[in-house]
Amino acid sequence: MAKLVLSSGGSILYQCFVDKERLSVGRASHNHVVIDDPAVSEQHAVIISVGNDHILQNLQSVNATLLNGSRVVRQILQHGDVMQFGAFYLRYLNPKIADSDLDRTVLISGLQKRGDAAQHPSGPPGHQVRMPAARLANIRFPKGRVRVITGSRAGHTITLDRVVATFGKPGKGLAVVARRPQGYFITHVEGRRHPRVNRQSIGAETHPLRNGDVIDVADESLEFLLDS
Amino acid sequence: MSRDFIEIAAVTDAGSVRQFNEDSIVTDPEIGVAILADGMGGHRAGEVASHMATQIIMSGLQTQVAELRSAVAQHPPLRAVEESIIRANRAIFDAAQGQPTYHGMGTTLALTLFFDNRVVLGHIGDSRIYRLRQNVLRLLTSDDSLLRDQIELGFISLADAGDSHNRSLVTRALGIEQSVSAHLREDEAYPDDIYLVCSDGLNDLVEDADIALIINALKANLPLAVNHLVQAAKDNGGYDNVSVILAKVLKPFPAASHKGWFSRLYDWLGLSAG
Repeated sequence: MAKLVLSSGGSILYQCFVDKERLSVGRASHNHVVIDDPAVSEQHAVIISVGNDHILQNLQSVNATLLNGSRVVRQILQHGDVMQFGAFYLRYLNPKIADSDLDRTVLISGLQKRGDAAQHPSGPPGHQVRMPAARLANIRFPKGRVRVITGSRAGHTITLDRVVATFGKPGKGLAVVARRPQGYFITHVEGRRHPRVNRQSIGAETHPLRNGDVIDVADESLEFLLDS
Repeated sequence: MSRDFIEIAAVTDAGSVRQFNEDSIVTDPEIGVAILADGMGGHRAGEVASHMATQIIMSGLQTQVAELRSAVAQHPPLRAVEESIIRANRAIFDAAQGQPTYHGMGTTLALTLFFDNRVVLGHIGDSRIYRLRQNVLRLLTSDDSLLRDQIELGFISLADAGDSHNRSLVTRALGIEQSVSAHLREDEAYPDDIYLVCSDGLNDLVEDADIALIINALKANLPLAVNHLVQAAKDNGGYDNVSVILAKVLKPFPAASHKGWFSRLYDWLGLSAG
């Protein structure tokens, strides 16, 4: 279960579990987390639980709610986040999320949609909300490009900054260059002519690319360059 | 109908982190069916649920498609899919009731049935179906997931959704209750359309724009395309099982005959049924 730790001037003043659907923070004594500071409003902020998420919501505009130093209105909390209320710090700890298996598929009951959900017309499904992919953590991709040596695009440089890029001509000889964390890799896609790397046909196998490799595919000749 | 009106390539992978694969996929290009299930439950019961779902639905559809083709069955293909899903739901539910270690097991589902120039799409949970038509990738299903509910209700913004811890909480699944209501729809299918059926291990880790780019770039080589999709999910973390099915319509596939036995008898007698 997630936990909140209130501190000021380096000493811990109060700790509690986030075990309520709506946990209030403010100067008034009825709040779940009471912070006695003139820079804190009576009802300053709430922490809302939705499934595994805890969402920090600032309630008014007079006194700001700072999360990791930035002003926020509403934000999903992440393990280790620090909220600042006046001279007080409230740290959010959720170690279970930090290192567990929450990405396993689990069934829970859905949120009750109230009347106002009607303003999101159901229409053809899947069109009104585009769900983004999860934020990627700490994955570094190499930076590479190809310089066209011969062919209609001779002299051009093409940056390889997407997951895949194709070269050649459909039907004739098409090759794909995939960008992966460990480097770039070329594979034959279709056509009778297989791509060549440094004058050697790569056949049907995936071939790693090295800085300075010369690729021949269909009518083009390309030089692969890897930024170090 | 000839054997090759549809080309299917499929792969399932445990991912880069998990030891087990709770996803299950089954395809049959001969009858134009692709089924994917992402199981859930302790003691590896998720594997049991997802395999039961794909096997039971596939065997149900093999029988039903044969009936549809010979025009023995008069009901629409959508009904055939629904019946097979109901049967699988019941079987998983009963198995879960009868076996303590299977208690609470369930599975998501996403399937396509191509029949008579149309495709029936069925899904439950957060497994998805997309379609690439004229280079544009479009999501055709709507996740039964808490994250989606959160966004629709305005609890969190789309921009923040990538930070949510609720990515894998589904609000509907097969085999959890005695009855289930699947999302079913029918759509026209045209030559060169490519349908993507995937588990959340793909779309959680690879942005739609990259999914579209990979399928577009490699559509001439579907096995290579599915491998690159799985590779992209694993390269981006691969913390979940990832399953990908691509089904490409090669040519029109009208049903051999829409006629009932009576008009075929007329044909056989050389008479016109009018």
